[in-house]
Amino acid sequence: MFSDLMIRLRSLFRRASVEREMNDELRFHVERQTEKLAASGMTREKAARRARIELGGLEQVKEECREARGVSLLESLLQDVRYALRMLRKNPGFTAVSVLTLALGIGANAAIFSLMDAVLLSRLPVKHPEELVLITSWDAKARVNSSFSYPMYQNLRDRNSVFAGVIARGGGQFNLNYRGVSERVRGELVSGNYYEVLGVRPWVGQLFTQQDDITPSGHPIVVLSYGFWQRRFGGDPGVVGQTILLNEHPMTVIGVSPPEFYGTGLDAPQDVRVPLMMTPVFKPVPENRMQSRRHQWLDLMARRKPGVSLAEAQTSLEVLYHQIREGEEQQLPANTSAFDRQQFLANRIRLESGAQGRLSLQREMSQPLLLLFAVTGIVLLILCANLANLSLARTAARGQEVAVRLALGAGRGRLVRQWLTESVVLSLLGALASVLVAIWGKAALLSFVPAEFRVSLVSPLGWRVFAFLLVVAIATGVLLGLAPALRAARSSSADTLRSDSRMSATGSGVLSVRGGLTLMQVALSLPLLVGAGLFLQSLRNLEGMDAGFQKENILLASMNPALNGYPQERIHTLYVDLLAQLRAQPGVRSASLSTNSPISGGWDQLSVVVEGYQPRQGEEMSPNWAAVSPGYFKTLGIPMLAGRDFTDQDTAGAPKAAIINETMAHYFFKDANPIGRKIGLDNVPDTEIVGLVKDSKYSNLREDGVRHMYMPTMQQERLYDLTLAVRTSGDPRAAVDLVRATTSRVDPHLPLYGVTTLEAQIDVSLTAERMIAWLSILFGMLATLLSAIGLYGVVAFSAERRTREIGIRIALGALPGDVLDLVLRQMGYIVAVGLTLGAAAALVVSRVVGSMLYGVRPMEPAVYLLAGFVLAASAALAAYLPARRATRVDPVVALRHE
Amino acid sequence: MRNDRIELPQGTLDLLILKTLALEPQHGWAISERVQQISQDVLRVQQGSLYPALHRLERRGWIKARWGTSDNNRRAKYYELTASGRKQLEAEESAWRKLAAAVAQVLETA
Repeated sequence: MFSDLMIRLRSLFRRASVEREMNDELRFHVERQTEKLAASGMTREKAARRARIELGGLEQVKEECREARGVSLLESLLQDVRYALRMLRKNPGFTAVSVLTLALGIGANAAIFSLMDAVLLSRLPVKHPEELVLITSWDAKARVNSSFSYPMYQNLRDRNSVFAGVIARGGGQFNLNYRGVSERVRGELVSGNYYEVLGVRPWVGQLFTQQDDITPSGHPIVVLSYGFWQRRFGGDPGVVGQTILLNEHPMTVIGVSPPEFYGTGLDAPQDVRVPLMMTPVFKPVPENRMQSRRHQWLDLMARRKPGVSLAEAQTSLEVLYHQIREGEEQQLPANTSAFDRQQFLANRIRLESGAQGRLSLQREMSQPLLLLFAVTGIVLLILCANLANLSLARTAARGQEVAVRLALGAGRGRLVRQWLTESVVLSLLGALASVLVAIWGKAALLSFVPAEFRVSLVSPLGWRVFAFLLVVAIATGVLLGLAPALRAARSSSADTLRSDSRMSATGSGVLSVRGGLTLMQVALSLPLLVGAGLFLQSLRNLEGMDAGFQKENILLASMNPALNGYPQERIHTLYVDLLAQLRAQPGVRSASLSTNSPISGGWDQLSVVVEGYQPRQGEEMSPNWAAVSPGYFKTLGIPMLAGRDFTDQDTAGAPKAAIINETMAHYFFKDANPIGRKIGLDNVPDTEIVGLVKDSKYSNLREDGVRHMYMPTMQQERLYDLTLAVRTSGDPRAAVDLVRATTSRVDPHLPLYGVTTLEAQIDVSLTAERMIAWLSILFGMLATLLSAIGLYGVVAFSAERRTREIGIRIALGALPGDVLDLVLRQMGYIVAVGLTLGAAAALVVSRVVGSMLYGVRPMEPAVYLLAGFVLAASAALAAYLPARRATRVDPVVALRHE
Repeated sequence: MRNDRIELPQGTLDLLILKTLALEPQHGWAISERVQQISQDVLRVQQGSLYPALHRLERRGWIKARWGTSDNNRRAKYYELTASGRKQLEAEESAWRKLAAAVAQVLETA
């Protein structure tokens, strides 16, 4: 309503004149009333007094009028804030402690949130990311497959009616050589419309267009990412137009993509991008990669046309996809079984929002991040309880102030508001300081993240983080102010004014609120400690496990001579040379090569046939596969159980040989001796099993019972990247230079990449586990410490209040034990109830985190007992100190105390 | 002071103020006097609650205020009914009459 607004505004901006008018109006009233009363025969003074009393408190009426005019909300808020700041300045100690603790608590939350923001909430840094979709497919067993063949890409791109553009990317391996210095870089092949469809503009030079992706092998151009351009070329714009060698092919740099653009997934920031039509050059095998529908290797994304919903696009594309699959089914080899054909056609396409790009990193990190977020949230709650406890103690001390204000006509609602304003101001100050903590905390968290992902996550705190900070600060302020505020408002002014607060009966009430808060702290701390114990035990299990190989003293390094233009026949000689030279070095106990190294992520899986074994329909017949050189098992310390290792005689001309692990032997041959049996990769069992090795861990430490087979490197037609494993007699890191020198003696232009130790590689695979374990321990200890401080405060406060009573009891002959009992009994109850509730909460935690644990039961009694003991012991210590002081009360002093 | 005065039921103060102002513009003290006078001193207006009520009614736009000169030649704040205030008065009056009649009926018959 208009009058409403006008009056509110006038009240706000013309405050002085409104106040004056109100004074005039009320003074006029009092004068008239005085006159009236005087006329009836009262003396002037008595009449004036009477008139005032009839009106009620002058200030109270004014305050009610202000409220009626609607001034108060905004104006009194400002007043409250000013008053709050004054109060905080008057108590620098309290303020400093509170702001500091809040800064830590809120900062920890903000740090985790900022990482969540960067990983889980961020969208691709491209034009209108919400229009993007990821294209994947489901097979008959509902397994998601995210790769497509090039002909399928062409079909989807050209025959759809719902997309403004479809883009494709495929991974590749690149050695870059510029002015004689070669290094391994991360790169991908992208379709010509890649940058246009994503809406990415060049930072320097230009980016690919459709015209750059027409002739197979005919577009020797490359776009650099900003980060790589900075790192390798020092950000020199002159590099545009220069020629670099990629896998020994001259390529012209045409431009640099902008700094914020990391690609289509957080997990894979690239250094270089080349047009998809260069595939025959950079991925020469198989030769028909661009024609075959069997080679599925491209990741697809698309941009929806304006006005087309995701569901509409899905429906439209499903039809198209099915048509294409039917066409493909016709071309399947004639001997394909009806079952396989049916499985083939059961494949369905699936579209999902591509606003965040490919989500592998998100999937991997969402669980740990959410968990840590919950943990820091709980720590913040515990911290709030502590500060609320502290403020409650202050409320008791400020009882007189409250009483005076109530007596002067302050409304109780107004008092509550005042109190809440104080705590919100406090927590806003804390939030301000917490920005520093958040920045520092995020950096610390990122140090847990593997370096290759870090690039895309190092962004300044975004607006979402600040919005989060604001919300958390206000919520925290209200939370920690609520108890004291209600407490203050409930106290009766007359009682407090009359008696000294020290003796007043309100004391027990304060204690019960504070006791409740402490109980909550104990109950919240226990699940944190239990979680920390479970994660620590799980991490120790993983770190200390027998992985089936000896991880100590092994140096790993990878290379791919094929990228440097080595023909296959020379690659074998190169490797033989390299191994021979390495083995001759001092300090090298053994050396070997393999297509994969343990715990490096994934292994190849190849479909096998086994002589004398009839697979069921649809049975999974693809064990892990690796090609290894002679000496691999010795180098890694994997025990040979039967048969022999590969030797230098297992060459291309010799009979094909294989070594299998126990699980595979048991799977196919039960308890029979597998040595001498035959298996084969191309539907023909032409390979003899010559050895049996113990199971070990392959992709990751958690896996179990994986079938695995090894074949000799020398019998492989083609070899690409191989990983060198060198067992040293001393620290493997000391051998890095030796290995580099030996390699460059064999070929100075052969770059080594992925140089690390096996131990470090395993460490990296436990990144998330380690982050969770250490942070949950950190926060668990913090929670325990906070609870202990809270407990100490409550006991000290109660002992202080009861000094006189204790003095009397001691005077009457109570022993120190009796006094201890008196002071501690309540604490005993609080801790006992808190632990019980905490145990119940911990059971929930165990349930939630159960799937993240390894080798430890989620409800492991030892962990529960230990956590309970730590908490109870720290509680006992915290309560004992002030209680012991109480036993030393001198009755004479205590009785004079009042 | 006479003991048979009754406190105003919640919400009736607004109605009485509006009714008083329907005759002519008045200042606060006069309003409280008038209410007591007309009700033959049965109704007692808590003077402290009168002013917040006036300010509230002003904010709602039912009355408006201007400064004038009182009968003994002093500056006083006069309140008068606005058009919407007059409508409000009618509405409240009829609502009150209905309520009073209904209560009376119940008291008589039950």
